[in-house]
Amino acid sequence: MLFNSLQYLVFLPTVFLLFWIVPHKLRVPLLLVASYVFYMSWKPLYGLLIFGLTLGNFLLVPLIAKTATHKKLMLGLVVALNLITLGVFKYAYFTMDVVKQGLGLAGLNWHEPHLHIILPLGISFFVFEFIHYAVEVYRGKPTVKSFIDFALFASFFPTQIAGPIKRYMDFIPQLSIPAKFKWAYLDEGMQLILLGLSKKVLIADNLALVVQAGFSHPGNFSAADLWIITYAFAFQIFFDFAGYTDIARGSAMLFGYKVPINFNLPYIAANVSDFWHRWHISLSTWLRDYLFIPLGGSRGGKWFTSRNLFITMALGGLWHGAATHFLIWGVYQGVLLILHREYSQVLERLGIAQKLLASKIYHVVSVVFTFHLVCIGWVLFRADNLSIAGEMLSKLLVQAPVEFTHFSVQQLAILHIRDPIIFPALLIILPVLMVSHVVVNWLNGKKIYEHPPWALQVGMMVAMMCLLTIFSPDSSPRFIYFQF
Amino acid sequence: MACAFGSFAVALLLFCAVNAAAWAGGSGWWRAADFPHLSWTGWRIKKFLQFRGTPDIVLLGSSLMLVPVAGVDADFVGRRLEGADHYRSRYFEHALQARSRRSARTFDFSLPGEMPSDAYLITDFLLKGDKCPKVIVYGLGPRDFMDNLLPSPSSTDPFRNLARFGDVSPISARAMPGWLERINFELGKVFYLYGRKTDIMARADALAVKSLDGLVPEPAGGKKFSIDSRRSLLPLYLPEQLCRGEAYFRPTTTNERPQFFDNLNEYRSRYCHVKWDTFVSQLEFLSDTLELAKSRGVHVVLVAMPITDLNRSLIQDYAFNAYLRSIKAIASAQGATFVNLYASPAFSRADFGDTVHLHSGGGKKLLDLISEALCNDAECRISLSIPDNGYGQAAAGAVASRPAGEPVATAQDRPL
Repeated sequence: MLFNSLQYLVFLPTVFLLFWIVPHKLRVPLLLVASYVFYMSWKPLYGLLIFGLTLGNFLLVPLIAKTATHKKLMLGLVVALNLITLGVFKYAYFTMDVVKQGLGLAGLNWHEPHLHIILPLGISFFVFEFIHYAVEVYRGKPTVKSFIDFALFASFFPTQIAGPIKRYMDFIPQLSIPAKFKWAYLDEGMQLILLGLSKKVLIADNLALVVQAGFSHPGNFSAADLWIITYAFAFQIFFDFAGYTDIARGSAMLFGYKVPINFNLPYIAANVSDFWHRWHISLSTWLRDYLFIPLGGSRGGKWFTSRNLFITMALGGLWHGAATHFLIWGVYQGVLLILHREYSQVLERLGIAQKLLASKIYHVVSVVFTFHLVCIGWVLFRADNLSIAGEMLSKLLVQAPVEFTHFSVQQLAILHIRDPIIFPALLIILPVLMVSHVVVNWLNGKKIYEHPPWALQVGMMVAMMCLLTIFSPDSSPRFIYFQF
Repeated sequence: MACAFGSFAVALLLFCAVNAAAWAGGSGWWRAADFPHLSWTGWRIKKFLQFRGTPDIVLLGSSLMLVPVAGVDADFVGRRLEGADHYRSRYFEHALQARSRRSARTFDFSLPGEMPSDAYLITDFLLKGDKCPKVIVYGLGPRDFMDNLLPSPSSTDPFRNLARFGDVSPISARAMPGWLERINFELGKVFYLYGRKTDIMARADALAVKSLDGLVPEPAGGKKFSIDSRRSLLPLYLPEQLCRGEAYFRPTTTNERPQFFDNLNEYRSRYCHVKWDTFVSQLEFLSDTLELAKSRGVHVVLVAMPITDLNRSLIQDYAFNAYLRSIKAIASAQGATFVNLYASPAFSRADFGDTVHLHSGGGKKLLDLISEALCNDAECRISLSIPDNGYGQAAAGAVASRPAGEPVATAQDRPL
């Protein structure tokens, strides 16, 4: 069931009404049933998978707490159980492909078996939540006593398919609060849902047209076009995923629950490290807490830290998808983080770090530079394969400087495509989206933005309802992060 | 000012008020024929509305009818015909005149993917008043009743476009059997902005184009962007749109016809696991179409179109027999003429461009046989004022009949 579907428009209000009608003790079971209905509406059989993993983790993780001598072994077993499940469903084809290619290089011909595995929706997210639970219990945090609470933590429908990745100590305590209905839940929740839908339907889905054309036929576009198309993808993926997260957070808020934020104006990041503090925050903090730190974090020397950063980001890339281009994207992010760390240390040693960071011009240049580094990464992320990524990057980085020396507006193929109109409109929309980050950053903390007047809230919601009603497509594309 | 019910509740009320106001004042804002994007259906409806006078004969059917009728016309006039503009069956008019010495004006309302539910809407909303023809010739194929790829009757392009011309509420239960479709439909009736969203979007799109042409004009020179380029770059963008210059029917001769195209895989997925509810529902639409036509004094000739043995072999015997038996029975019950060209020995595999569509050579045979069947049929002769000059013998190869007492397939006929 998609958030931007008619099914959800029926499902969510039904669950919302039932939730506030039934007594408090029935609310969690109700949400659990609703979450399984939500999940099984796609493939009923995979309900068994999430249930099996939930039961396995619920029974095994307390053993980590109980055992005094084999804590690490038990933790290893639980983590292995989760990772093997993820590996079988998500990486089986990729692994077989890699093995086949390796054997092919050695002159051996291997016919891999046909497994017919379909990637279960959301598996990367709920597996990470289980691992987080096991590690926290290993670190001494309490276990969850109620199976129903634990099952809901893993399957909670607003965050089930694409996060945000929750922390059980933040989520589970909320379930036991006997909350009474407040209009504020509905207001905040619906504002977030409408905002999220607007980001997805009005912005991301329109940009998707241009991105699809550019990334499927890069040969048809000039280097300047491809830079614009890459910017378009940067905003498409942001608005798609941020839209999804807003809907998830808004849906949770309707029941009075809070789930973590995932984004904080990522494109005003002044360096790559800052970007990862602003982009997909629930994943980057998970990677930090359960991969980077267990690997040793930055407690060792320079090379040790760099190695940990590299491994963390490479695996983070592979988490996004079982494909070489995701792995290379992760490696690219790892290398950028290592280079940034080195660069910062050089500035510190030279004693100019403070002065530079205080400079507004340096800040603006850093933001623009970081944005472009991120965009280059998005090419690796979005391209269907390495061949297309190579063609795109060659045009963006090698051909573009040559092309720009004799640039003329006629080179822009996007100006010649008048239907759909989103192509030429990019020249207006993209600068507006870029400026919107700056404007929202400026508004952050201001009263009119944090607590807008009641009439303004109502007016904005009516406007969004009207726009969404008119522009809701008959079949909106899936959220990008659903594939992970 | 704050409200005890919260801002969302007030916003929802205001949204409802906006829609109510739009319903009250917006009835004259849109014309049904102002299609946001023109598809085969849109072009054909426009042509029909522009048609001066009344067509004597209207052709209905899917691409099984459209392809041979337009193909033989291209051969007949000796030049390529623009798909978007071609609506008159020149060769059929000629063949009929040659046999009957009477001229008749035709309008070809056959459309790609047209189902009996679409034919019903054409008949109900368009073939009436001064546009009511004397005769309808309706070519049917088994796909029209057993297409697994079709989610529901209302999901076709013809249905979506034709639904603009009238109220489909009376047939909504049959046309939208799924609860989500029904909710979607009802939401469109309740919320003006949702019901009219395609029109509003088209108007907004036109406004955006106008503004952008001023702000970001297309540069002179440079590489022009054609519809073919768009199809290649964005295959999923408005797939049903048909632009001028995009589809032509070209004249061919026996020696230069394209090679036989094997489209069995497509039909395998269409025919597998007959959806009996769809089958019965489409039969009901067919019956209703004939009944409606009869009530308007229009005589209908149902033609069971020829298909190849290759295609026929994909359909289970019980399903094919149910199809043939049922359309024959419906024709009989509604006083229509039934012409079984499936059983005609006149067609062989060599007459087809693929496993179901006749090429222009086969199309010529088809129209010859239909025109002969019309001249042989007393009802048609009366409707078209064709004198009885010794007709009455069955047309060579065509099996025109008026059987009685044949049972129509029903939901109870579902095989165990």
